[in-house]
Amino acid sequence: MSTRVKQDKSMLEKGFVIGIYLFVILFAILSVIPFWLVVINSFASESTIKLHGMQLFPKEFSLFSYQYTMAGKQIMSSYLVTIIVTVAGTCLAVLITSMYAYVLAHPKVKYRKILSFMTYFTMVFGAGLVGFYILIASTLGLKDTLWALILPYMLNPFFAFIMVSFFRTLPYEINEAATIDGANDLSIFFRIIIPISKPVIATVSLFYALQYWNDFYLALLFIDDHNLHPLQIMIRQIISNVNISSYVGGSQTNYSQAVPTYGVQLATVCLTIGPIIFLYPFVQRFFVKGITIGALKG
Amino acid sequence: MSFLREITKNKYLYLLALPGLIFLIVFAYVPLTGHLIAFKKYRLADGLWGSKFVGFDNFKFFFMSDDWYKVTFNTAFLNGLFLIFGLGIALLLALFLNEIRHALFKRLAQSFIFMPYFISWLVVSMMAFAFLNTTDGMVNRTLEAYGAEKINWYLKSEVWPAILTLIYVWKFAGYYSIIFLAAITGISGEYYESARIDGATRFQQIIHITIPLIRSVVIVLGLLGVGRIFYGDFGMIYGIVGDNSALYSTTDVIDTYTYRALRVLSDFSKSSAVVLYQSVMGLITIVIFNQIAKKIDKDSSLF
Repeated sequence: MSTRVKQDKSMLEKGFVIGIYLFVILFAILSVIPFWLVVINSFASESTIKLHGMQLFPKEFSLFSYQYTMAGKQIMSSYLVTIIVTVAGTCLAVLITSMYAYVLAHPKVKYRKILSFMTYFTMVFGAGLVGFYILIASTLGLKDTLWALILPYMLNPFFAFIMVSFFRTLPYEINEAATIDGANDLSIFFRIIIPISKPVIATVSLFYALQYWNDFYLALLFIDDHNLHPLQIMIRQIISNVNISSYVGGSQTNYSQAVPTYGVQLATVCLTIGPIIFLYPFVQRFFVKGITIGALKG
Repeated sequence: MSFLREITKNKYLYLLALPGLIFLIVFAYVPLTGHLIAFKKYRLADGLWGSKFVGFDNFKFFFMSDDWYKVTFNTAFLNGLFLIFGLGIALLLALFLNEIRHALFKRLAQSFIFMPYFISWLVVSMMAFAFLNTTDGMVNRTLEAYGAEKINWYLKSEVWPAILTLIYVWKFAGYYSIIFLAAITGISGEYYESARIDGATRFQQIIHITIPLIRSVVIVLGLLGVGRIFYGDFGMIYGIVGDNSALYSTTDVIDTYTYRALRVLSDFSKSSAVVLYQSVMGLITIVIFNQIAKKIDKDSSLF
């Protein structure tokens, strides 16, 4: 009798484990299928997409979509805009955020609680769209400038608090020892704190970089000039059926063949997510760490 | 005087905080004056201070139309769906991933599941289009191959809450499961040890040990989500639905509504009234639910 029960139990246990593996495998496959679909079809010929629709395994391949997209001016200028905004934005944002967070975490600073509250308040009561739009567009006059894409994200309170929680874990003795050696707070921060805070700086930098790379909200609001369109807005333009040949092609359009509409859309998407997918294996762990600190410690 | 003394004593520290402080004042506090426009008949030429004061007229227009009910409902309903299914499935994933002993398999699966978190909503929108577009989308071509009718997805507003929920789960299940997994990893191995000695199956261990011990994390994440229930994800909804007015009835949220009022209709006053309505509702719910979350779990609540 007892062996029967044991057998039943181990059978159930096995079934349970198999069920778990199946669920996880299924979810993992569903997670990558959309990536696969856009990547593989970006290499499919336009005629095969028109004939058979989007397929997981297209029948006919062609590089024409990429040739067509890369020949135009727009992809180059959009890439440049996105790279400039991402690099400049991330550097500035990390610098400002880490300096600010350090002060918020510093026990010597009497007004740190007030500063913390001022920061927290912006998370719970925002100015909203209209005040923000008027500030950027008329008060600061940043419409159709790259500053409009960089400045508004320079201090993310959430990332600042992630850094605060890290700085709090640093032993205060570092500070005291350096002060006795005659270092002031500026040199303590730049010479000692920054070098030992590399892990959290890397994590926050990557979050900022991802935000800048993927953002289209600011460009949607403030950029009309197509020379300043970042990649994300380029995708939006070619999805929403603007005249693709004049938008993408610039003056070098090859008129001998029809515009590969799907091809250009898919190729542009792939060129946009390319760097992310390429870097993903190397940076994933930093994001995991950031999410874990952000959620559990705040 | 003590203020000045404090500033001069720690002048370098306050200097470090200065750029951040200026940023907050300029980009977060100055724009708060924009809420005044909700009470004015705003004209660009007159500016914020010169425009005529009209009291609550802008609010009256908004609340007397059907719009306010529709966008408020859509925002709360979609966020509710995202929260329930997003957290629910992420929890399942985390529990299951935790049961997987094969380290390489676990790492690979996790990498794949986390990947959608990294791409923008416009890329997601293109992916959705590759599946759902009427003539050449994979879904319709598959339906056709099996002899079924094509479906014009981009005109069928009633299916979009489900589609958006699916997309949300696809994009964020990996993200939330990381949080849950971190909480599960924090559980002491001794509990499982003694459960095994008592003959508990893995399923029983999940039900009686893991779930009760991470319950507070789940509840706290849920409460924080409920706190933000009046904030729609503009990037998501506008990125995917865009200007497709056929889908507005089920997908138009407060954030897309105010965007259109501002950018398409150039009605600053109306947009501002709705924004203020959202900010006040948001403030109330966030403060209430953050407080509850704090009570439930001091360590895992945000503030």
